[in-house]
Formats: sequence, structure tokens, C-alpha cells
Amino acid sequence: MAKVERAGEILACLSGVKKRYGATVALDGFDLEVRAGELLAVLGPNGAGKTTAIGILLGLQAPDVGEARLFGRSPHDIAARRGVGVMMQEVALPDALRVGDLIRQVSAYYPEPLTFGETVALAGVGKLVARPYVKLSGGQKRQAQFALAICGRPRLLFLDEPTTGLDVTARETMWATVRQLVAGGASIVLTTHYIEEAEALADRVVVMAKGRQIAQGTVAEIRALVVRKRVACATTVDVAAVEAWPNVTGAVRDGAYLAITTNDAEGLVRRLLAADPKLSDLEVRRAGLSEAFAELTSEPAAEEAAA
Amino acid sequence: MTEAVVVPPMPLARTLRAYFSDAAYESLRLLRTPAFSIPILAMPLIFYSFFGIVLAGRGVHAPAFANQLFVGWTVYGVMGPGLFGFGILVAVERNMGLLTFKRALPMPTGSYLAAKLLMAYVFAIVIMAMLVALAVTVGHVTLPAAVLARMAVVMSLGVIPACAVGLFIGAYAPASSAAAFANITYLSMAFLSGLFFPLSGTLHTIRWVWPTYHLSQIARAAGGLPFEGQPVVHAAALAAMTAVLIALAARKVARRG
Repeated sequence: MAKVERAGEILACLSGVKKRYGATVALDGFDLEVRAGELLAVLGPNGAGKTTAIGILLGLQAPDVGEARLFGRSPHDIAARRGVGVMMQEVALPDALRVGDLIRQVSAYYPEPLTFGETVALAGVGKLVARPYVKLSGGQKRQAQFALAICGRPRLLFLDEPTTGLDVTARETMWATVRQLVAGGASIVLTTHYIEEAEALADRVVVMAKGRQIAQGTVAEIRALVVRKRVACATTVDVAAVEAWPNVTGAVRDGAYLAITTNDAEGLVRRLLAADPKLSDLEVRRAGLSEAFAELTSEPAAEEAAA
Repeated sequence: MTEAVVVPPMPLARTLRAYFSDAAYESLRLLRTPAFSIPILAMPLIFYSFFGIVLAGRGVHAPAFANQLFVGWTVYGVMGPGLFGFGILVAVERNMGLLTFKRALPMPTGSYLAAKLLMAYVFAIVIMAMLVALAVTVGHVTLPAAVLARMAVVMSLGVIPACAVGLFIGAYAPASSAAAFANITYLSMAFLSGLFFPLSGTLHTIRWVWPTYHLSQIARAAGGLPFEGQPVVHAAALAAMTAVLIALAARKVARRG
């Protein structure tokens, strides 16, 4: 009955979407394509427009300008939403229903849902099914919401900041399930401001800031956009002097330690060792996605490099 | 690039099942919420016992008075679940994001409202059954069973305008004050429409604005009791009120959620 998607086929897209709330611009000409079988991480700080983008893809808000398509249809078409599972950031579910009730209720909306047992096992909520939703902790509520997102056997799953408030074990379980779903052919759009989450899961990363896409590529590509390295060492060299050296983009003193960012780690290290022969605890590392991300979102000029 | 539609179609049986499960879980969750279900179920029973039977004293032996109190409190009881079920719950669910979540899900169109309507019916039937039992045992109501059944069917239709009033409140009132608005409306509908005692002056003149007035007149007509006006006109008035309130509520929710 269900055709298998060909790899690379577009399941959902936003084109040229603009959306403002009063004076606040939430999306400012945003494009997004979600391809079959990929796990796409949409990365950005709070207020970047991630949740608005998902809301428009789900038909919860109408774009001021531009268009949203879901499985080639309008997101308002219920037939399109039958292929979608969703975990939203802010939702309160009926307190008096048990987790098992909620799973059965939401499953009933889908044409070919997972069985109750499959959903419970995949989401790892076996211990929660008999408990009223209101009695759950914050993290357990997120797990229950995750179960509701996957119970319909969705072709496309939207997870908006799914692991916020989860402990390490619950987060690992969720990540494992997400990988399993992708392996089974599902596509996933994950919004997060946890860099590790994108690094751990994503095939492709879209970086958003101020309602626009500022970079996109694989995790490695996003990281490679930023050539800077971080050099740290215990030294007596004056921080102001180091800042004035060529290719140094920043230097901070923390007690006996100096932390320097640079485009030319080798040249910097040579100069440091010459200036302070007693220098110790030298460490050089590539900027993590975390730093890359901070840099991308603070410098719109990176847009050209990313294109 | 071609976009394949990969979502399987929804068989009709599964759509019906979705409606059914929504209705079942809506009723279940309200039955499990005593703060909602106890007042809705018990208040008409307590009021009817207290005002309609105990306080009415010997006066209730007069069949006309006994019937008046029975119709009045039953109309009151039947309209409660719809008014509060929609009035408070829609306002609260709008506020807590549940409605947004449900809109993102492939919930069948109308299932949300149908579930609440069915819940209101289930509650209304339970309330009517309790009031009828009370009426024929200690309430000095001597109408034949067939007549009582006909009145019950007619009064159960009052669930629909009650839901419309509730939906209107739920769509416009903030979650924090929806309960207060629903209560004021409920009390006004009960006491300003002449359900229990005759009205006079302006209140008498404008009694037709209350759905409870029309519903009680239709119920009286169905029970072969004296009534005012034409049942068809009362039914038309209820239908018109229902349509206007639903249209206003739909406009508000469609625009701002």
C-alpha cells in the first residue's frame, strides 16, 4: 500500500517563508527541504525561528509569505498529517488519562499505527503506561510525548527539542530509538540547541539564526566551515600582547591559564613557546560544533562560506 | 521534482474508530476528574431533592407544581454538562496547548467537538435517569412512563444548545475566568427563564432570550402539560441560538486558536 520513498525525495518543504508576530520577525525568508530517509537537525539559539518553522510545516500557523508543503500537499490536508508524528515543546495533555490511554487515543488517528506493544517498547515507556499523565515527572512526560509522536508509524517525525529535561539514560534511549526509526526508513526533523544531539544523530544540519538559514551541510561540513582552533596553556605571557598578535581572534586569561582562539595554531604555538620557555599544559583542539555554531550565529558573513 | 504521496489512506472504519475512541477517552477522563463530574452529576440531584421535594413540602402534592419542579430541574441538569464541558474545557485546553497539539495530529475533523458532545450526552442521560427516578419515587410526579420517556428524549436535545453556549464561552473567555462565566450563565439560565417560579416585569418580557425557557416549554408540550407559545417556534429559537453561538465561536477559534 505505502510506496517506499526513493532516497532524496522531498517529503516536506518550506519555500521563501516569512512570518512575523507583531513587531517580531520569526521567519525572514526561510527555505527548508526534508528528504526521505534523512535525519535533519535544525540548530539554532532560542528565538531563531525553529518552532515557528515546524508550526508552519504542520499547518498550525499560516505563513505571511511563501509556502509550506507536506507530502506534496497543504499541511492543512489531514491526509498529509497522517504521515506525520510530532513532539511539541509546550503541550499539556489531559491529566486524568494514563499514558496507555493517550497512546491508544493518538494511535487511533493513524491509518497503520504501531501496535500498542511496539510503541511502548520503542519509546521505553513500559513502566509509565499505567500511570496518570499528571503524576509523571517532567522527563517522563517528555518520554510519554515521544511515544505519542512515534505511535502512528509516521513517515516523517518532527521532534521539537525532544531531550530537554531528560536524564542521561532516557536521552540515550530516545537517541537509540531515533536511530532505529531512521534505519527503518523514517525521516526525522529534530530541532535542538544541544550541539551534541545534532552531532550524535544528524545526517544533515541546518543552522538558523534570526529567522534565516545561515548554514547547512553535514556535521563535518558545518564544523569545517570554521577553521579556528583553540589553544590553551599555563603561561605568564601578557593577554593584551597576545591579542595583538596576527591571526589571533581572541584571548582570555583564567588564573594561570590563557585560552586563545586562532586561525593559525602552529604559528601561535611557535610564538608562545618563544615568548615563554616555561610554558606548560599546552592543549590545541579544533573548535567543536558548539563553538562553530556560536561563531556562525554571531557572524552572518558565514552565509557565503556556507552556500 | 515529483513528490510521492507515501501516506496510506485512512479506511472509513478506522475514522469511525477514532471518533469512538475520542468520545470514550473524553468521558473517561471527566469521570476520573471528580472536581468536574461530581458537581455536574450531583448538583441537579441535590437541588431537586432539596428545593423540589423537601422545601416544597406539602405544596408538591399538587401535580402541577410537582411537574413544574421536575421539568425545571431536569432542564437545569441536562444543560450543565454541555455548558461546563465546553465552556471550561475548551478555554483551558486552548490555553494549555492541547488544542494546538490536536490540530497538528491527524485527528478527524469534528472529532474533538463530537467527543465533547457525546460526553455531554452521556452525562445528561445519567442525570435525567437519576432525576426521573427521584421524581416518580418521592417527587409526586405521576406521569405515565411513556410520557416521561417522551419528555426525556425532548429534553436530551437541550444538550446541543447547552454545548453551543459553552463553546461560545470557551472560545472567548480566558482559561482563568471561564468557570466564573459558565457559572453566571448557568445560574442566569436557570433562574431568569422562569424554570422554577413565575417571572414578572422586564424579566418576564425577555425570558425568550434564555435557551432554558424554550427547552422547558417544549418539554412541557411533550408531557401534555400547559405551555406557552408554539413548540415549533421554541425549537426554531433553540436552533437559531445554537447556530449563531457556534458561528461566533468558530470565527474566534479559527482566527486566534
